[in-house]
Amino acid sequence: MPTVLALADFDLPTRSGSGFLLRYIVPRVEPVQLYSILVRRTPFRLCAPQSDIIIGVGHGDKAAFYGHNEAVILELDHYNPREVNGKVIKLLSCQCGVSLGPDLIRNGAEAFLGYVDDYVWVCDADLALRPWADTMAASSLLPVVDGLNTLLDGKTAKEALDTELEGYTRNAAIEEDELIRACLEFNRDNAVLLGNSTARVRGRPKITLPIPPPPILVPISKS
Amino acid sequence: MASTAFENLKESLRKPATPEAMKEAAEAFRKYQRAELAKNRGSRPTLVSLGHNKTYPHAIPLDEIPGELEKNPEFFKLMKRIATKEK
Repeated sequence: MPTVLALADFDLPTRSGSGFLLRYIVPRVEPVQLYSILVRRTPFRLCAPQSDIIIGVGHGDKAAFYGHNEAVILELDHYNPREVNGKVIKLLSCQCGVSLGPDLIRNGAEAFLGYVDDYVWVCDADLALRPWADTMAASSLLPVVDGLNTLLDGKTAKEALDTELEGYTRNAAIEEDELIRACLEFNRDNAVLLGNSTARVRGRPKITLPIPPPPILVPISKS
Repeated sequence: MASTAFENLKESLRKPATPEAMKEAAEAFRKYQRAELAKNRGSRPTLVSLGHNKTYPHAIPLDEIPGELEKNPEFFKLMKRIATKEK
């Protein structure tokens, strides 16, 4: 079963969030089906039923998760349950844990990992062409990567959440900048796991060194 | 341990989102920024969020946060939730 990665990449927050997954998650899973302009409803609808895990980075609100240029990907009551049935779903997005997450579980998703408030972090806008090199953003986004790697190691959704939360706590303890520390604690407090906490997906091979070279990114459009 | 400047920012964010409180929070953020912020860590530090249809921008350079705090009650409330952990 392939991994469905839906990585929006059209503005600074999506570039930063998707950049870390491109660098650290993509090399260990099957080719990315949905990146940048492909993060749209129709490609997602076709890919999602074949996967055992859905990982998304994009903007969101209580009722929906959005892809490229805020195209709706998953919206409350507007998707086929086949797209989510039996899957572990992780959405790096704002507030999807409030209404969309519970709806996904009601429609058969095995587990949902997301956030019940805004997901916020501080990043360096000058590093938009190599977002994975951003140490400020890394303090918040590497715990997400670690949590996803835990899932892809074949461990449970609860273990993945714990890994992410421990990452925030560890980074907050050594963070000197109080705003960045506050963001880490805010994200940690808003992370939720819904559904079956013992859910797991097929373990993927771990990355063997050397990690493949990073992708080449184009500048973010100003539109 | 939190600095005095950040503690002052938190105190100002705890007030209801009135124009006076928003102006006070903006000034507290400027003082915090001068004292503490992003010490040589990035050339253009920017606060970003993955919210949809918000009244504040998805990406706000840190030096523009005071201006947004002054004019936008929704952003004031977001900063309150982040800094004080109060809903």
